[in-house]
Amino acid sequence: MQLQNSSMSNQVVIQNWLIKQLAEQLSLDSATISITEPLTRYGLDSIDAVTMVGDIEDVLDVELPSTLFWDYPTIEKSSQFLAQNYDLSNLNNKADDAHVLEELEETGIEATNSSKGWGGLFSRIKGA
Amino acid sequence: MHPLIQYRVAQLLEQDLGDPNHLESTLSFKKVIELDEEEAFPEAELNWLYNWHLQDYYVPVDCGGKFTNFEEFLALVRVLSRRDQTTGIAFTTMFWSFLCWMAGTEEQKQKLAQFMIEEHGTMCLGYSEREHGSDLVNGGLTATKVPGGYLLNGEKWPINRATRSGVTFVLARTDAEGGAKGLSLFMIDKREISNSEYYNLPKILTHGIRGSDMSGIGFNNCFVPDSMLLRQEGDGLEIGLKGFQITRTLCAAFAQGAADTALRTTLNFALKRVVYNKTVFALPQPRKTLVDAFLDILICDCETIGAARGFSVIPEQFSVWSAVVKYFVPTQLEKMVNDVYVVLGSRFYMRDEHDCGIFQKVLRDNSIISMFDGSTVVNLHALMLQFRQLTKYRAKRKPETMAEIKPRLATIFSLQQPAPNFEPEKLELFSRGADDSLQGLEIALQQLEDLRQESNVNQETLEKLINLGKLVLDELNVHDELIAQSKFEFGHEQSPELFEIAKKYCTLHAAACCLHMWIYNRQLLGEFFASGEWLVLSLHRLLRTIRPMPYLISEVYLENVAQELVRLHRENKLFSIVPIQLAQSEINKQEDQTNAITELVHV
Ligand SMILES: Cc1cc2nc3c(=O)[nH]c(=O)nc-3n(C[C@H](O)[C@H](O)[C@H](O)COP(=O)(O)OP(=O)(O)OC[C@H]3O[C@@H](n4cnc5c(N)ncnc54)[C@H](O)[C@@H]3O)c2cc1C
Repeated sequence: MQLQNSSMSNQVVIQNWLIKQLAEQLSLDSATISITEPLTRYGLDSIDAVTMVGDIEDVLDVELPSTLFWDYPTIEKSSQFLAQNYDLSNLNNKADDAHVLEELEETGIEATNSSKGWGGLFSRIKGA
Repeated sequence: MHPLIQYRVAQLLEQDLGDPNHLESTLSFKKVIELDEEEAFPEAELNWLYNWHLQDYYVPVDCGGKFTNFEEFLALVRVLSRRDQTTGIAFTTMFWSFLCWMAGTEEQKQKLAQFMIEEHGTMCLGYSEREHGSDLVNGGLTATKVPGGYLLNGEKWPINRATRSGVTFVLARTDAEGGAKGLSLFMIDKREISNSEYYNLPKILTHGIRGSDMSGIGFNNCFVPDSMLLRQEGDGLEIGLKGFQITRTLCAAFAQGAADTALRTTLNFALKRVVYNKTVFALPQPRKTLVDAFLDILICDCETIGAARGFSVIPEQFSVWSAVVKYFVPTQLEKMVNDVYVVLGSRFYMRDEHDCGIFQKVLRDNSIISMFDGSTVVNLHALMLQFRQLTKYRAKRKPETMAEIKPRLATIFSLQQPAPNFEPEKLELFSRGADDSLQGLEIALQQLEDLRQESNVNQETLEKLINLGKLVLDELNVHDELIAQSKFEFGHEQSPELFEIAKKYCTLHAAACCLHMWIYNRQLLGEFFASGEWLVLSLHRLLRTIRPMPYLISEVYLENVAQELVRLHRENKLFSIVPIQLAQSEINKQEDQTNAITELVHV
């Protein structure tokens, strides 16, 4: 039961994080994103979906199948797959925006203009 | 025999094909020009190659063929393409078989292997459609599930060897909804589908490779059995994109074969033609142009041969490396051909004057390489989508990462080391930020520093290499800063500026490959290679496209490279870092009778 609970909450956390990613990347209002709609509905192309796997791997620090968003093409399905198959026990901490930002900046290049640093990813998280 | 075993078969094929200047040889320039004029398919020439059993080298050893590694394979295609790209490309549509070696069942592989080896069968690749070229995901040809198989409807066009091939690889839509899992790949054996259910489209008249069977194929409720599906329904795009990583890398060999002929025939002219009481080659400007062309070939060698070997060592990084090779090598060599035609003067434009007019044909044929199998923009686009991760990964490197890159670089670039077996199942859709060649640049710089202690290295040349190497690193750092600070966008509407940045990345990649190639093969590839002067000039040549540099770095080096170029020409050796012996040339025989007699002895 314990396990199921934690995987449930992991799923919700990653779901919310993915919504935020998509909303900011594609300049959409996060309220309009439904977790059950295929990601392509929002203009995300197949190759972009592969690139996004890389972003998520970075933050979660796990190696994922490159076809993750092809095989699980909605936010609901991919979050469920992630929560069930990966140890994301520190996800709650990681999904804390300030923490993630700090971690990314530690690893990133010292961008002179940090508000633009790491392109979409940094500004998205900062803006969140 | 060549001391490097991976070049022996190519040298054998080369000798058996004979001198292309000799009118009677198989694939002589005269013959291939005649065929081109007639726009005739090189039927007899391909049969000769089948009887030679060249097809065996397209089938992996564990499927009953003789394919062992891509380095050997590239050399074979190069030998073929230096004579005729039409034939080279027509025969080499067989390399689409890698889709089956990669994704097929044991049964599918055995069947295809037998078809190729024993029945002299060939295949074509049907990805493009009239309405959808580069946009594979939105292809309109459908495959609808019915009991026992699928019903195909739609057309593929323009397809090389669509009519004259027994097997057609077709990318078809199996999910009306579309999406990344909406495509499936079929390996269709034409003998096993109904004649009335498919048709071929008429020959397309093309600018170059005019004798090719450029056509198309269409399907009308055509039943194809389940056994022709590769892997699972919905896996088509993934197999297709991974297959491209293989074939795009191999495309470089077509361009390199053509580049050799373009330079060789121009030299045939420049070394004999006298103007103002001097040969053209003795004039400084044409001489420099031809030396630069030679350097272009050497640079592309380092990139291509490195990639061919890298395939077996770091297949998981090939979404990056294949895009770099497919962009860089064909465009660099296309430009090279354009540069040297100035030296050939008016003869470049004539179809029957100098060396049977082969230059004109090369010029036309070669320009397709950067377009098919993923165009220049498509490859740059594929690369730039990974920039953010490449940059991030490089910034995150730890000493342990570098310690892992080092032995991999050694295996990739030491031509004497056997390359491990290629494992296609390790190909990945994105490289997770890794690119050993550029990310190992600091390793190369350290190795250069270490060479300061070596007595057999010219310290002045080494100094120049170190300085140029540092500039490459500077530029890579500039690149990374730029990417780190730019806003990443998904999708197809990338800025023109980013395309320019991607081109620079490829240039730096080539520079890194040149450095690695030299470091690991100094003791192996002969005196000219070892001296490193060509490398100084090559790095300088590459960097000049990125930052302001002096026009010339050393007249002495230039002269030494010019001497080597003339020597390879005289001795009939391939313009390459691995200058294999070419078939004895009539042209040089007339030029120098005494030399010719000694050279007739086969190596
Ligand atoms: C001689 C020859 C042989 C061929 N052989 C085969 C074969 O055997 N099998 C096969 O399947 N196909 C084959 N093709 C087709 C070839 O692969 C396509 O022509 C190629 O993919 C480009 O498609 P397109 O011309 O329809 O251009 P489109 O896809 O319609 O593109 C039009 C233009 O849009 C721009 N563009 C496209 N994508 C991007 C991007 N990502 N970023 C920026 N700009 C972009 C480019 O400027 C491009 O030129 C062959 C073509 C020729 C000419």
